[in-house]
Order: sequence, then structure tokens, then C-alpha cells
Amino acid sequence: MKQAIYGLILFTFLALPPVANLLESIMIMHMHMQMPLLVFAGFLIARFFQLKFPQFFERWNANGVPGMLLFLIIWLYWMVPRAMDEALTSPFMELFKFFSLTFLAGIALRDSWKKLGNIEFSIMYIFFTLKFIIMGYLYLAIEDQICNNYLIIEQKTLGWGSLAMAVCFVIFGFYWHFTDQSEYQKVDL
Amino acid sequence: MNKKDNTKLAILLVIIFGIGLFYISTDGFRAYTAESARMYDLQQEKPTLPNVTLKDSHARTYSFDELAKDKYVFITFMYTNCGTVCPQLELNMRDVYKQIPSHYFENDLVFLSISFDPLRDNPEVLAKYRTYFDSDGETWRMARVNDSEELTNLLETLGVIVIPDDYGNFQHNSAFYLISPKGQLVEVMDFTKVDTAASILLDHLDKKVRD
Repeated sequence: MKQAIYGLILFTFLALPPVANLLESIMIMHMHMQMPLLVFAGFLIARFFQLKFPQFFERWNANGVPGMLLFLIIWLYWMVPRAMDEALTSPFMELFKFFSLTFLAGIALRDSWKKLGNIEFSIMYIFFTLKFIIMGYLYLAIEDQICNNYLIIEQKTLGWGSLAMAVCFVIFGFYWHFTDQSEYQKVDL
Repeated sequence: MNKKDNTKLAILLVIIFGIGLFYISTDGFRAYTAESARMYDLQQEKPTLPNVTLKDSHARTYSFDELAKDKYVFITFMYTNCGTVCPQLELNMRDVYKQIPSHYFENDLVFLSISFDPLRDNPEVLAKYRTYFDSDGETWRMARVNDSEELTNLLETLGVIVIPDDYGNFQHNSAFYLISPKGQLVEVMDFTKVDTAASILLDHLDKKVRD
């Protein structure tokens, strides 16, 4: 329960207008900091819902696949340049961003990722690694301004940021592949 | 219902939700950037242009309506100090210009490059700039809008977003705009697709001449 309170505090902090404005004024902070932090806030808040409505998650998200799909859809949605632009210009979209990333993506992720089997987990891992590589490449290769609210130089920065994330994912992949995870998993269960 | 069924139902619902979300927010999978959404919206709305007063490279002053009387107007927005997209935009405009038979320029069509930097782009600067693109200053004019309120109004109507950067330059979205003889916006075209723009323009002109 403590976790949920921390999550709520984080969420409130991110929603403070000066904090939100600051993070949104720089493209890479908008996508690689504000959005993941919102998901993380939801991840913490999820504990409250898991304790309160255990049957709901048990029935609707037994194997973690629906939740993971929901997380993926919400996350991909906010990668659409238009969605990012609209979050800045329309208050309704801004509200939807805070709600969807925290309460849909964050909670779904928390409830799903441990339930996923090895194959599903690998698919997710490959998907996200590829996503970061492709996005990084796209943002570096495109010469046009794709967000009306951000300069091209910020787009390039975001491209390098995505590639850096991809590198982290690849490193994690090696680590995960070459170490024996069974001991950790026993402890977790 | 058993547990397994619910999970499958949940997957289905999530997928439907996802398709709906993307469908609605991209105007039916058409517009993935705010820029393409803007172009799509403009094509649907066909707004009428506000009248503005222009000062061109020959230092002549006239209203847009005077210039555009019974003519199609092919417009781009630029500023002469621009080192990035504007030269490309104007070069592409020249390529469109070259594809249009000259008799259309007698009564049916005029090309117009509008500067949104009235401080620096005075008639002398525009007169020099136009020579870089073989603009003759008559059938293809370069002009600025003197009045800042008129300019803002015009840019807003056409959804042109201009962001000043830290180095005295501007970053802005670019497109070819076609205004009908009635003063209505009829086309917003991708400025990188010269041949497409030229053929769309010719279609409109053919129709006008036939009528």
C-alpha cells in the first residue's frame, strides 16, 4: 500500500503545471522522461488496485497477455508524432496522456510482466529493442520537422536518445541470455 | 465463463480498443503527424483567405484581392534569411512554375511567395532574392505583408506555424497552397512532390479555362 501512495505522490508531482511544462518543453524529456515516469507512477499505484480487486486481474489478465497488449498499444500511441503535438495544444489530450499512461499502461504493465511466459517475454524484448532502433534511426534520418512544436535539432537528440536506449536493451539482452536466472526467479516466487 | 475465455475476450477488447484509438486519432489512419492532420483539415474546410495588403519586390502596394482577381494564386511562405527549407521550397516552386505553359499566366494564374519576416525582407532584399529563382516579379511575385496583425491572421488561417529560434531564424512548416479565383483555399500540397503539385495545378487551370 505504501507503494501506491508513493506512486500517487509521483503522479501528482508530474501533474504540477510547472513540472509538466518543463518536461514538455524539451522533446526528449517529454518522451523519454515524462512518459516513462507516468508509467512508473501507474506501476506503483497498481499495487492498490491489485490488492483491492484481485479477482478482476485474475479473471481478465490471467496470463498477462491482454495487459501487455494494452501497455504496448498505449505506449505506441504516444510515439505517434501527432499525439505528442496534440498533448501540447489540447488540454483534453494532455489529460488523456496522464490518464492513459498511468492508469492504463502503468497498471497493465505491473500486472502483466511477471505473468508472461518466457516466449512472450522474449517477443516483448525483441519488439522493444527493434522499436528503439527503428525510432532512433527514423528520427535521425528524417530531415523534415515531424512535430510542429519541436525543432529539428530536438528531433535528432531524441533519435540519439532512442539509440542509446536500444544499446542498453542489447546489453541487457546479453546479460539475460548468458546468466542463470533460475535462482533469482525462485526468490521472486 | 471460465478464466481462459475471459482472457481471450480481454485480448479481443484490447485490440478493438487499440484499433479504435488509432483510427480516431489519425483521422482514419490518414494523418500521423500534426502537419498532415493540418493539411487534411484544411482540405476539408477550404477556408476563405483574409484580405491582406502586400508590398512586393517592386515596392508596389496592393491588396491580395486586387492581385488575385479572377485568378488562381499559388502561394508559398518563406523568409529570405532562411538557410534550410526555404531555398528548397522556392526551388521546387520554380520547378512547378516551369511546368506551367506561359499562356496561363496571362489571366488565370499568379505565383506568390509571401515573406513572414517583414523586418528584414524589404523590397530591395526581395528584388535580389527573386533573381535566385528566376522569378520575374510579375507572374511570380515576392512580397511581404506589412501589417503584423494581417500577417498573423493569414498565417493562422492557413495553419502556418512559425517558431523563432535562438539565432534570429525561424522554423516553420512548408507547403504549396492554391487559392481559387473565389479566394478559397482549394489545395494544400506537399512541396517535395513537384510533379504532383504541377499536375494538380494544371487540372484546376484546365477546368477554369473550359468554364
